[in-house]
Amino acid sequence: MIQLIIKRLAIAIPTLIIIIAFVFGLMRVAPGGPFTNERALPPEIEQKINEAYDLDKPLIQQFGIYLSKIAKGDLGPSYKYKDFTVNELILSGFPISLTLGISAIIISLLLGSLLGIIAAIKRNTIFDYAVMGISLIGICVPSFVLAPILSLFFGLYLGFLPISGWNGGNIYNLILPVVSLSLPQIAIISRMMRSSTIETLNSNFIRTARAKGIPKRRIITKHVIRSSILPIIDYLAPATAGLMTGSIIIEQIFGLPGIGRYFVVGALQRDYTLVSGVMILYASLLMFLILLSDILRAILDPRVKIK
Amino acid sequence: MQTILNVNDLSVNFDTSQGLIKAVDNISFSIKKGECLGIAGESGSGKTQTFFSITGILSDNGTATGIADFNDVDLLKLTEKELSKIRGKKIGFIFQDPMTSLTPHMNIGNQLIEVSMIHKKNTKNDALKKAKEVLDIVKLPRIENLLKKYPHELSGGMRQRVMIGISLMCDPLFIIADEPTTALDVTTQKEILKIFNDLKKYKDITIALISHDIGVISEVSDTILIMNEGRIIEKGNCKEVLTSPKHEYTKHLLSCVPEWMK
Repeated sequence: MIQLIIKRLAIAIPTLIIIIAFVFGLMRVAPGGPFTNERALPPEIEQKINEAYDLDKPLIQQFGIYLSKIAKGDLGPSYKYKDFTVNELILSGFPISLTLGISAIIISLLLGSLLGIIAAIKRNTIFDYAVMGISLIGICVPSFVLAPILSLFFGLYLGFLPISGWNGGNIYNLILPVVSLSLPQIAIISRMMRSSTIETLNSNFIRTARAKGIPKRRIITKHVIRSSILPIIDYLAPATAGLMTGSIIIEQIFGLPGIGRYFVVGALQRDYTLVSGVMILYASLLMFLILLSDILRAILDPRVKIK
Repeated sequence: MQTILNVNDLSVNFDTSQGLIKAVDNISFSIKKGECLGIAGESGSGKTQTFFSITGILSDNGTATGIADFNDVDLLKLTEKELSKIRGKKIGFIFQDPMTSLTPHMNIGNQLIEVSMIHKKNTKNDALKKAKEVLDIVKLPRIENLLKKYPHELSGGMRQRVMIGISLMCDPLFIIADEPTTALDVTTQKEILKIFNDLKKYKDITIALISHDIGVISEVSDTILIMNEGRIIEKGNCKEVLTSPKHEYTKHLLSCVPEWMK
């Protein structure tokens, strides 16, 4: 296990460097720079600014300086949010995005798997058709359509829930964003879980379990679920990636001060350090989740050997 | 001798997209206590479905009609819950494919003790004791070690022995063995058949041995049923039927056995 973690960390570092290089290059290729305005600055001032941020040096040297700073844990100053470093911006926004993301992923996993299992057990009944029908809609309707409809209905017409703002992490403020973020994932996960549970139910070892006279409930809990949940574990990392990109939009719609907006605004304003800072964070998070899902898989399935 | 299973006018139908398919067509037979009945026939002759239907493990689209008296209880009239109390306890099963018939994420020990803990309400210790006993009967070595292993760590032959062990956990009256040797190599086949012969001799267990391999059946069975297209073609004493078959189909089936084996 420890060997696996060390190995993954060793792979993670070059991967991150490649990602940083990619973002670094891409941002520089985009026309304009962080200090390009509609009204051009006097050349001397621009010269001074560029010197202050090392932007006058050759690209390779800039990249070297940036990497050595990152190695020390410093993501550099933001070019656009004056007097803020990227570290400070991320630290203020990340807890909000993390709360949103973790709540959404936990709810999607629990509810999605549960609905999928029940639909599989009761396949070809009203319940199954209802779950599958609704989940089809859930997959088709993107969250940026769902979110305004939800806030219109529950926020404005019924007045149950606040439609925007963070409010110090108040649970009522969280409900709408988390629901609109997790509904599409619940839909996908429940469909995956249904088909893998049906497949497991039809397998030979379940016939053996029935032949052993094991009660139905125990067959499901002891023999079926541990096998049928494996595809969901593999889906953990892609689901997280989906939630990350989804949260960029959801944070905008519900006016949450997470890091999603830095990503969009940073890219539009050529805030080089901010964009790559957020990118590094997302990439590390994703790599961590892939590791986590590999570990979970090895725990659940004895046939998987950790190397 | 006392009759343990008496099947009368049993039919099994499957509701498929191609319409209703008759897998078993109005068959009747009986098995006496302590006897080993061999059921021979080609694939699709209904030999497996006959026994799946009377024990209630048909697939969802199958229905069975008729009478199947097991120990004077009509199995076809029982509910799923009542049947599940008989399966594993009074009737043991051994399936064709040992590679996929054991739960991959459960260790051998748990798959064994589960049976007697549920049916006999045994404590874990008693169940473990019984598990070691049955693994000894099926001649598996290093039992202590084996209980902690997972199915994928065992060979096909070992897994089939574990399967037989599972079927013996509750000292069943009757064992249904559905092609127990088909997926195994010839030497392992011999050893498994020897276990069946031992069970017959020492445990007085009634066995239904389903196989398409006449050679396998002739080694263990006392009586034989020849099935084709859901009907019983011929039944009787195993030796008599195989040496002097009366029916054309039986002769045809026997002609498929290589000369040197006879």
